[in-house]
Amino acid sequence: MMCPHMEAKLNEYVDGALAAPDRASLEAHLAECAGCRAAVTELRSLSAATATLPRSIEPARDLWTGIAGRIGKRETGYGKRFSRGALAAAAVLVIALGVYRLLSPFTAQYRPAEGGVGWAAVQADVDRATEELSRILAAERDRLRPETVALLERNLAVIDAAIAESRAALARDPANAELHQLFSAAARQKVELLRWAARAAAS
Amino acid sequence: MRRMGGCLAFALALLARQATAQTRTDERWPLDSGGSVRIMIPLGSVRVLGWDADSLAVSARLERRAGRFFAAGDVHVRKLGVDTAAGGAGADLEVHVPRGATVWVKAATANIDVEGVDGTLDLSSEGGSIRVLGTPQDVTAETMNGSVELAGGTARARVKTVSGDILLRGASQDLGATTLSGRIVVRAAGWQRGGTGVQRGKFESVTGDVRFEGEVGRGGVVELESQSGTIEVRVPASTVADFDLLTIGGRITNERGDAQPKQRATGTGQELRFSSGPAGSGAQITARSFKGPILLGPK
Repeated sequence: MMCPHMEAKLNEYVDGALAAPDRASLEAHLAECAGCRAAVTELRSLSAATATLPRSIEPARDLWTGIAGRIGKRETGYGKRFSRGALAAAAVLVIALGVYRLLSPFTAQYRPAEGGVGWAAVQADVDRATEELSRILAAERDRLRPETVALLERNLAVIDAAIAESRAALARDPANAELHQLFSAAARQKVELLRWAARAAAS
Repeated sequence: MRRMGGCLAFALALLARQATAQTRTDERWPLDSGGSVRIMIPLGSVRVLGWDADSLAVSARLERRAGRFFAAGDVHVRKLGVDTAAGGAGADLEVHVPRGATVWVKAATANIDVEGVDGTLDLSSEGGSIRVLGTPQDVTAETMNGSVELAGGTARARVKTVSGDILLRGASQDLGATTLSGRIVVRAAGWQRGGTGVQRGKFESVTGDVRFEGEVGRGGVVELESQSGTIEVRVPASTVADFDLLTIGGRITNERGDAQPKQRATGTGQELRFSSGPAGSGAQITARSFKGPILLGPK
C-alpha cells in the first residue's frame, strides 16, 4: 500500500521532474517501501498506456468503440487506483472533445433542408457521451466530496429538464435552427458538467 | 493540592495552545520575470500578488492538521502548495510573483485571489471563489459553486461556473463566460477608461440570468444565450450595431428605440432585428433564449 503523502512526489519522480536531492531521498524510501514501489510500477505503466492514446481525435462515428474498449478493461483493487483515475480522465477528455467537436461545427452548418438524419445521429452521440460520462462518474463518485455530489445532482436535474424541454420543442418544430442551437448549447453544458465532475473525481 | 491544580491548569493551557497552533513558513526564491508558478492548495485561501521583482516569495500559515507545505523548482518554474490529507484543515498562502509571471492555481475549496499579475492566469477551484484584480493577458477561471469576479481588464478571459455567479468588469476585449445556474453580469468599459469595448463576447447560461452592460467595440460581436434565464442588454445610445434578438417561449422588450418585436413568421416565439446605423457597419449583438425574456435598453 502506497504511503498516502507520497502521491505527488511519486508522480514527479515518474515524470522525471523531481530535483536531484529529492530523487535520492525518494529512491532510498523506495528501497524500503514495497507499496510505493508498486505505485511507481503502476504509474510507469500508466504513462506508457497514455502515450499510446491518440494525439488527435476525429469526431468519427466509431469514436465510442475504442473508448468503450478501454473503459471496459477497468481494473479493481488498491494500487490500480492511479491507472483507473487517469484512464477515466483520459476517456472523459476523449469523449468530451469528440462531442464538442461534433456539436459545434454541425450546429454552425446546420441547415434544416438537409434532413433530420444527421441531427438524429448527433443526438444519439450526445446521449452516448452522457451515458459514458455518467458511468465513469458513477464509478468514481465516492472520491468527490458529498457537497460536490449534491451540487452535481441538483444541477444535472436542472440541465436534464432544460434538455427535455428543448427536445420536446424540437419534436414539435424539427426545422427550427434556433432550437437546434439551444439544444446543442444545453447538451454541451451537460457534457461539460459531467466531464468536469469526472475529472475532479479522477484527479 | 494547590500545586497539583497549578500543574493541571498549565497542562490544559498547553493543550489549548497546541490545539490552535499554527505553523508559519516564509520562503523566497529567484524567478524569471516571465516564469511559471504552479500552486496547489486544497483548503483555505491563496492570495497571489504581482510585484516588480524577479523573485517569488511565499508566506504560508498552516493550521494544525493542515498538512505540509512543499515547494520545488528552479528560476523558470516553481511548484508549491500544501499537502492536505482528507479531513485536514485549511492553510493560507500569500504568494508574491513577478508581475509578468504565468500563474496556475488548483484548489478544492480554497478561495483564490489574484492582484496585479499581468501574465497568464489559469485558476480552478471546486468550491471556492475566484477573484482577479488587474490587467492579466489571459485568464481561465473555473469553479463549480464559487463565484468569479474579474475586475480591471484582460485581453482574453474564459470563465466557467456551475452555480456560481460571474462578474466581469473593466476594459476587456475577448470575453467568454459559461454557467449553468449562476448569474452572469458583464460591465464593459469603453475608451473613457482606456478600453476599446468588447470585441468578442459570448455569454451562456442554462437557468441563470445574463446581463451585458457597457460598450461593444466597433465591429465587435457579442452573443448572449440562455435556456430560461433573463437576458438583459444595455448599451450606450451611440452604439452602432445590428441587433438580432430571439426568444422561443419568452417575451422581448425594447426600451432602446422604436423598433418593436414581432411574432416569428415560422414556428413560435418573438424576434427583433434592426440596425442602429447602416446595416453591417457596426457591431453585432445577438441574443437567444428558449423561454426566458429578453430586455434591450440604454445604458
